[in-house]
Amino acid sequence: MNVVAASLSAAGGLAVAGAISAVLFGRSVRAALVGLLTAPAGAAAAVAGAAAAGGVSWSLAAPYLLPLTGVELAVDPLSGWFLLLIGAVTAVTGVYTVGYAGRQGHGPGARPSLVLLPLFAASLMLVPVAASVPTLLVGWELMAVTSLLLVLTEHRHAPAVRDAGIWYAALTQLGFVALLIGLVWLAGTAGGPSFAAIRAGARDVDAATASVVFLLGLIGFAGKAGAVPLHPWLPRAHAESPSHVSALMSAAMVKLGVYGLLRLGFDLLGGGAPWWWLLLAAVGAISALYGITQAAVARDIKRMLAFSTSENVGLILLGVGFAGMYAQAGNSTAAVLALAAALLHAANHGAFKALLFAGAGSVVRATGTRDMDRLGGLVRTMPATTVLFAGGALAAAALPPGNGFVSEWLLLQSLLHPGPDAGPMLTIAAPIAVAVVAATAGIGVATYVKAVGTGFLARPRSDRAATARESPPSMVVAMVLAGLACVALAVVPGLTIPVLSRIAGDLRLAPPGGTVAASTFALRVEAATLWPLWTVVGIVAGTAAVAVAARALGRARRRAPAWDCGGGPLTERMEYTATSFAEPLQRVFDNVLAPERDVDVTHADESRYHVAAIRFHQRIPDRVENRIYRPLVTALRSLGERVRPLANGSVHRYLGYMLVALLAVLVVGVLR
Amino acid sequence: MHGATWVEQAFNLACGLLLLTAVGALWRRETSALIPILTVQGGALTAIAVMLAAGHPDGGQAVLVAVVVGLLKVVIIPLLLRRVHRLVRNARETRPLVNVATSLLAAAGLCLLAYAAARPLVAVAESPTARATPVGLSLVLIGFFLAATRHRAISQIVGLLLIDNGIAATAFLATDGVPLIVELGVCADLVLAVLVLQVLTARMVHTFGDGDLDDLRELHD
Amino acid sequence: MTVLVALGQAVLLAVLAPYVLGLTRAVRARLEGRAGRRLGQPWRDLRKLLRKPPTSPSDASLFFVAAPPVLLATSLLVAVAAPFVATTSLAGEADLIVVVGLLLLGAVALALAGLDTGTAFGGMGASREMTIAALVEPTLLLSVFALSVRVGSTDLAAIVTAGATDPASVFTPASALAAAALAIATLAECGRVPVDNPSTHLELTMVHEAMVLEYSGRDLALVEWASALRLTILLGLLANLFAPWGVATHLTPVALAIGTAAFIAKVGGLAALLAAGEVLAAKLRLFRVPELLAGSFALALLAVLAAAVLG
Repeated sequence: MNVVAASLSAAGGLAVAGAISAVLFGRSVRAALVGLLTAPAGAAAAVAGAAAAGGVSWSLAAPYLLPLTGVELAVDPLSGWFLLLIGAVTAVTGVYTVGYAGRQGHGPGARPSLVLLPLFAASLMLVPVAASVPTLLVGWELMAVTSLLLVLTEHRHAPAVRDAGIWYAALTQLGFVALLIGLVWLAGTAGGPSFAAIRAGARDVDAATASVVFLLGLIGFAGKAGAVPLHPWLPRAHAESPSHVSALMSAAMVKLGVYGLLRLGFDLLGGGAPWWWLLLAAVGAISALYGITQAAVARDIKRMLAFSTSENVGLILLGVGFAGMYAQAGNSTAAVLALAAALLHAANHGAFKALLFAGAGSVVRATGTRDMDRLGGLVRTMPATTVLFAGGALAAAALPPGNGFVSEWLLLQSLLHPGPDAGPMLTIAAPIAVAVVAATAGIGVATYVKAVGTGFLARPRSDRAATARESPPSMVVAMVLAGLACVALAVVPGLTIPVLSRIAGDLRLAPPGGTVAASTFALRVEAATLWPLWTVVGIVAGTAAVAVAARALGRARRRAPAWDCGGGPLTERMEYTATSFAEPLQRVFDNVLAPERDVDVTHADESRYHVAAIRFHQRIPDRVENRIYRPLVTALRSLGERVRPLANGSVHRYLGYMLVALLAVLVVGVLR
Repeated sequence: MHGATWVEQAFNLACGLLLLTAVGALWRRETSALIPILTVQGGALTAIAVMLAAGHPDGGQAVLVAVVVGLLKVVIIPLLLRRVHRLVRNARETRPLVNVATSLLAAAGLCLLAYAAARPLVAVAESPTARATPVGLSLVLIGFFLAATRHRAISQIVGLLLIDNGIAATAFLATDGVPLIVELGVCADLVLAVLVLQVLTARMVHTFGDGDLDDLRELHD
Repeated sequence: MTVLVALGQAVLLAVLAPYVLGLTRAVRARLEGRAGRRLGQPWRDLRKLLRKPPTSPSDASLFFVAAPPVLLATSLLVAVAAPFVATTSLAGEADLIVVVGLLLLGAVALALAGLDTGTAFGGMGASREMTIAALVEPTLLLSVFALSVRVGSTDLAAIVTAGATDPASVFTPASALAAAALAIATLAECGRVPVDNPSTHLELTMVHEAMVLEYSGRDLALVEWASALRLTILLGLLANLFAPWGVATHLTPVALAIGTAAFIAKVGGLAALLAAGEVLAAKLRLFRVPELLAGSFALALLAVLAAAVLG
């Protein structure tokens, strides 16, 4: 039994034990037990993933587990990379759950929620190790169902949660149906449900079928990844679900969409046509831009993080798309680079988004609100959360020395060198992609400055924010763990490069023997080099040196109230809020966002010229949703109304329908 | 760019100048700024014509074409435009149909499109300068865009002139020299068009006190 | 040796920066018909401020205290690494994307400090600064693209060396367009007219000044020094990317001396040009700034295209 098998069994066993203990034990210890069992389950999965990514292979066929097809599992470096990511996020989430779900009998601490959490984690681990179409689909559906139920945890408290559940259920099932059709079709044409059989038979699949399968896969996988325009579930589900679930979904689950696309496009279908990857890159670019613009103007902290997930997934898909295009154009150097950037960004996003959602969860738990306009001042009451959130924001804004910067640097390097004889498609697409990445990075910086600056600094803007208390130690420890992962990825990203190159080789993007040279402390790309460690050391040491030197020169710091222009003490109503901070950007993107504003002016009784009160209300709708889904829903509803006579409530009639359908299938079968 | 001759460099710079001025014409709201921009563009076009003529086997005719182009684009048309502009002092594009920032982004997009569209042309053309044809095509597209989205009559004229400059540039670059008679005909057409538009503007200013083309809709109503 | 040169270069820039600021003010004063102050006046101001104790607003936290050192440290880091006097700078750290990121990090620190004060001015400045920074970013990186196509690398030293050894390659339309784009981006990054007015005291027009309004004493000295340094850095980069003459490509004393003199002359020239431009131009309304930046973006994209089409 090798290390992968042992760790995976341990992970599975611990997760099941967690679920069982949630059933058996009472409210006082339930959350702690589940958390403390889920965390090592995640750690074990991470060990398995690391071993698999390092080249340990393992496979298992258990024909007795599922009727008809059986379960087939296998690991390769690609699944190892994602398993590592999922395991690490699960471990952090497990620790976080101890404090977050606490000893409460409701919400995240309720029994169903705690039973489902380890099961959700286990289903996440199942997907990347699945080695046949049925196994993958079963894992995928388990993941969808458990996450849906977890999203609905707090459905009693808010109608918005139910709304989120409906959106998520509808879109995730749409994706599942697309995947089901696509993958089963592929298995049927290629000659077998196992990935090995498909790989072997992929040459016999004609181009048109392969394209249709890829498109169906794109709907299913990109939808799960939260790419525009299949994203409307994401800001809802991420915002309304408990924060540890948001962290798992955003940091781990959406990455499986990326995994699926890589597995399907490169591994199973063998690369396909350039237009597939151009389409994918376009979807990525649109997701990145749309996601970050929406995030920039969001005032709900979790909605902001959710849209930022769309943005980051967009960047990852952009990298994957370019990897495919480069591979088709025969530029294997750039292809490997783009894929490495995408995979590294997936890991980085996992690390910092887990940290950020954990931080947001702490804030919501302490203040009871997600509205950044009503937060502020947390730096004094919740210093640890503030500092950790700020660190995550630094990474998410892709600023040096954060880990997000490293992967964006790699991505930009891959886009900057399309090569002298790249075709017109790449020559045009590459600069546009650079512009998209740059715009995304720029707006991202503004977004996270807003989150930290208006969410945590200055004075509190509500009573709950003023009386907030720091989260329990387990939550802080979880955030510290996620933060350490960010630091590790920021300082020694070079360690991941051999693995990423091997994955690229496995996916047939490049001849073996990677093209991104890396030592532990440097990333070397063609003629450019990045020394992440020196950047970190330079910034930290430089800042400390300047601060110490300046202090040595002069006298001690004083404190005094800020100048109030003689108008009495400054109040929290004079502060800049998240909405006001984002106002200039919103105005710049007015045409894209189309905000809805209401201004009600109440005049005083004495005179029309005296204003008693002004109410200003602004809502920034999701235009993609309004333009695409609203008409769709309306059309479906009217269709439903029209066929209502078919469903008159008679059981006999329904049974009759079933009989007719069954007969039709049989007749078709006989005729063929 | 190792070993590029100075002629090649100057040629490239002139092409760059063509693009720069085209973007500049979209950028500036003051119609008064458009005339110098157009003059510079005419100068760049003339420079291209001269450089092509210098390398041309049948030099005499090509030089003549270059001289005609230079006279027209650098001297005559700016002069005419200035006369039009005197009628509508201090006119500004206050609210273009597409706002300036968006139209600049659109211009960038049009250039990319021109680049993609000109690929086959570049591939088949025999002259070594043909690789710069996307520049001419970009000018045509930007000119159309300018004319389509701006209100002022003078902007329309400038758009038209951009289109013409673009066509001339494409012709120069892609065909390795334009027959004199063709160029003369085009020039005559152009002068005529500018004159007609000048008269039109004058009448409009006289009737409406303004050079805003949207006023013309009143004639229709 | 390279380390010594790099450190020496940083010291040179740090010393030079206030004089560059002084030069812009002096040129401006002369052109406006005033006598103006001496070139070294910014240095005297800094010395005075450095001796005074700083004051923190009572609502501010660590972010307010940390911002000035972060701002200065990031600027110094760029001054150490990028090729200003000599191209044999510290390997790798002079990557153009890293330089852009470091400068942005400094701006972010200051924006957070502005929000941390809890005053409306601070928030307003931070909000505007971040909006402008967000819109400048695409121009910056696309110009980087256009420049890196020429040498196949984003390493600043490689780009400048290529320019210094093969001057013909600087006069390409791609370079010219990228230079125009980068010049506009530089104006926006340094908060100069027409994007921001460094000498304004009218709240409606303030961007950078509004963010740093609460700083005093030592903190203010660090912020002012760092701002001057950023201006010098960006002007120096602009000069060396598009006019790389005189940069020392090998480490001999003569080459270094020539490099230093050339650098001072180029930055001085650009600063004078900047000041002259400021006298002639008016500040744009804040919501016209996106237009300017969209223009610079279009130029940068054209630069990339020109690099692809014309070579």
